[in-house]
Amino acid sequence: MSLLSTITTLIVAFSTVCVLRILFIFKRGHCRSKRAASDTCGLAVFLGSGGHTTEALALVSALDFSRYNPRTYIISDGDNLSAQKAHELEERKSERNRESNYTIIYVPRARRVHQPLWTTPPTVLASLVTCVKHAIHAALQPEPVWDILILNGPGTCFSICTAVYLNRFLGLASPRILYIESFARVRSLSLSGRLLRPFVDRFIVQWPEVLQEGGRSQYFGCLV
Amino acid sequence: MQAFVTVGSTKFDDLIDTVASEDFLTRLSANGYTRLVVQYGKSKLRLPFQGETSHGVEIIAWQFKPSLSEEYLAADLVISHAGSGTILEVLRLNKRLIVVANETLLDNHQRELADALSTQGHLVSSTVSSLPQALESIATMKVVPFPPFDGSKFARILDEEMGFI
Repeated sequence: MSLLSTITTLIVAFSTVCVLRILFIFKRGHCRSKRAASDTCGLAVFLGSGGHTTEALALVSALDFSRYNPRTYIISDGDNLSAQKAHELEERKSERNRESNYTIIYVPRARRVHQPLWTTPPTVLASLVTCVKHAIHAALQPEPVWDILILNGPGTCFSICTAVYLNRFLGLASPRILYIESFARVRSLSLSGRLLRPFVDRFIVQWPEVLQEGGRSQYFGCLV
Repeated sequence: MQAFVTVGSTKFDDLIDTVASEDFLTRLSANGYTRLVVQYGKSKLRLPFQGETSHGVEIIAWQFKPSLSEEYLAADLVISHAGSGTILEVLRLNKRLIVVANETLLDNHQRELADALSTQGHLVSSTVSSLPQALESIATMKVVPFPPFDGSKFARILDEEMGFI
């Protein structure tokens, strides 16, 4: 009986710590630290193939690569076209900056196009495990390599976001998360946008009508 | 003048059939077009019209090329499926654009983009069946130029987010 009560106490204590930790993470999310103009900032961006990749790379192309350095491109397994486009962007930018400090990492897709919904749990898990591995690896580097994470869909974003939250839970370094809804979403959010909006640090849409879905979305016109 | 039809990586048989039809070719010719280039992707090409001249329009058809930028540049009119990447690229080249939504696809949010940009006067949004009328509209309308890519907006957002500003 006393064993049972000890176990119960332990479970209750553990759950309380977890809940407090999660509450703390959500509260902490909004503070911003000042950086000097000469500081660098590690950037990670997910290239979700097709239009997602085109838009994400257009956004990244606008940045000062000596400031947003190093850069990590997260790509779905087998998406060679996105990898090629990332290489091309880096080559274009390095002509001007004379330096190119980036890596491409691959993660399994959370769900392939047309994959039946009921078969998703194992693929989601495989995708999640790889993302967690990468996120922890990034956090354990001497200099943080992921200070900001840019997402714009689709599904695999969710695994990456979850991995970042695990880092936060464990007290490891974790990036701020910025979600930019696609320019193609004129009147309603995408499924990944709707799912991720409560969890990202900043959520930006590119059409004013989408703002009306409420929440903490922001609109600055067309960014791509 | 040259018209370029593109379906990207999609299968869009109705569009390919329509642009290859006698009616459409006659209308193209009447509007001053002498050349029609068709990128048909995964769609079926029912007519063996490679290199032929039909109703005064020379027809060139192929499935894919690594980059379509040169085709957009060479064209006076682009007729495209509703992919957002294609729409942005063609508008930024200041080309006349007719976007034809594939209504057999369930997800119609791409149709919304074409409609919104059509309301702003940047392009003509059409269906396969209204393509002849769209051809007349695009010939007579005053196209509102689409603003060029401005990366400074996003750079500012990120600099602010990361505490540089």
